[in-house]
Amino acid sequence: MLACRALHKMYRTGSGSVEAVRNVELDVAAGEFTAIVGRSGSGKSSLMAMIGGLSRPDAGSIVIDGTDIWSLDDDALARFRNEAIGYVFQFASLLPTLRAIDNVALPALLRRRADRAGIAERAASLLTSVGLGSHFDAYPSEMSAGEQRRVAIARALINTPRLLLADEPGSDLDEQSEREVMIELLRANREGGATLLLVTHNLALAAEADRVVQMSDGAMAP
Amino acid sequence: MTQLRWLLAGLALQNVGRRKARTALLAAAVAISCAIAFAGGVMLRSIAASMAVGFSRLGADLMVVQADALTNITAALLAVEPTDQTIQADLFGAPIAGVARVAPQRVFRTDQAGFGGHGESADLIGFDSERDFTVLPWIAERLGRRMQSGDVIVGAARDLPVGSEIVLFGRNFRIYARLGRTGVGTHERGIFMTSDDLLGLAPYVRERLGWVPPMLQRDRVSGFLVEITPGATELQVRFALLSRLSGIKVVAGETLLTGVRQGLEALLDGTLALVVMTSASTVIMVCVLFSAIVEERRSELGLLKAIGARRRQVVGLMVIEATIVTGAGGLIGVVFGELLLRLFARSVVYHLSTLGIPFLWLGTRDTVTIAVGCIVVAALIGAAGALAPAWRASRRDAYELILSGG
Repeated sequence: MLACRALHKMYRTGSGSVEAVRNVELDVAAGEFTAIVGRSGSGKSSLMAMIGGLSRPDAGSIVIDGTDIWSLDDDALARFRNEAIGYVFQFASLLPTLRAIDNVALPALLRRRADRAGIAERAASLLTSVGLGSHFDAYPSEMSAGEQRRVAIARALINTPRLLLADEPGSDLDEQSEREVMIELLRANREGGATLLLVTHNLALAAEADRVVQMSDGAMAP
Repeated sequence: MTQLRWLLAGLALQNVGRRKARTALLAAAVAISCAIAFAGGVMLRSIAASMAVGFSRLGADLMVVQADALTNITAALLAVEPTDQTIQADLFGAPIAGVARVAPQRVFRTDQAGFGGHGESADLIGFDSERDFTVLPWIAERLGRRMQSGDVIVGAARDLPVGSEIVLFGRNFRIYARLGRTGVGTHERGIFMTSDDLLGLAPYVRERLGWVPPMLQRDRVSGFLVEITPGATELQVRFALLSRLSGIKVVAGETLLTGVRQGLEALLDGTLALVVMTSASTVIMVCVLFSAIVEERRSELGLLKAIGARRRQVVGLMVIEATIVTGAGGLIGVVFGELLLRLFARSVVYHLSTLGIPFLWLGTRDTVTIAVGCIVVAALIGAAGALAPAWRASRRDAYELILSGG
């Protein structure tokens, strides 16, 4: 389902260059739940951003379901991100001027589906399924961090993505909220059939994955 | 597709309301510029139209007559002095440096026209209605149609009703209009008609006088009234005329009037330049402000890209937001500008009218056109100001935008 080959990513800083990802090779099967663990600065988030089509690698290729995503032009890559990938960030990532239900519906609307009623219905259903049935009209500023993260999960699932990427989704949440978020991600993987790639520090959460890969200094640890 | 467009427009509208003070200040800045542009545009065009009439009423700058003609020049060069001396009608065949406009006139002074009391002298003045700039601007009262063959215009001192008929050399003419008071004798008591009508009297004049005076011949005129271009001096034009044309005399009027006209025209150009510079500074300000707004929103723009928004949608969001703010500013500016115009009408224009100086307001259609133009330009200024920073941001990786936005 996912094949990363010879991936490299370098960041230029004021004091020189930092090689964030070095020669990474990764294969993930369809429907698999893979956890990526490693210390801070080991390159996990950079790898996820490249896989998610958000950050262009300096070298290497990423093939998702037969599509080399970084060979696509801007519009095609945007469409691919929208239709095939769901991304949950490690920070609050909702548009502050939209209600919860509009934040969830936005990716479906960007997909240009004509069925607005169907989109609204699905967005409501997803919000209900993550326990936010009474928060449709709430703005991000009116919700807790955990609730915002669950809205972000609902948004990531609105287009039924084949690949669900979660970059430390519970990083700034309390234990209970982190657990609730994980339950939603696991449900999407096990009941929805989405391939799940999770970056986490939490080894207990990683233990629930089908496979755990470790990163260190930008490379896959043996 | 339409739903998405509305969603983006709604998102832009909501963004407008996020920083109310900043939005209000930006709209106010655009409104002030727009008010200046709108009120300035309407005033400048109205003043220009009023000046065109007003300056024409000041008369010509120079008069060109036959070298031997005796002239008694007046302060305002409105009509060529009556004299038997004539010059060639095609004297000004080629353009002459410093000469803006030239109006030929034929002046035939006669006491045999059969007009008024027995033996009353009358100046019959033939002018070219297409080139005239000293007779028609003085019309105070006229029939509700264009001047045509068989019409005459009478000076203010002629107590004859507009629309009535008079007989000149046995031919009927209708009084088409009467001039306002000028204080210039020839103008006050003159009977003005087209040159063709005056030339058409030649057979009847011959019948009555037994000869035809030279100014009633098609290839001769009594003289030319000359207006000089802004920037040119009377001395320069006089020299150019004398060096190019032979057998003529150049007579100057009040040089002060020429200086006033040229000075005011330059002032109008300067005012227009100020309006253009004000608009340009607004464009720069909007560009700078929206560069900052785009920087502030990098994280949100990155997020939009991350969930599948295309580059043009990201750019469109920022451009719509800017267009809403500056377009609203433009609308407010036009309303404010209209208030300024009303204030101007109640003060300066009213004062001018009490002095008997005409002020010609721009027509409603032209005023509305300028108003709509100002609003459209204000909206475009916003779009132009936001386009470059939004386009630059849209080219960056979504992840880079999200991280750099904090």
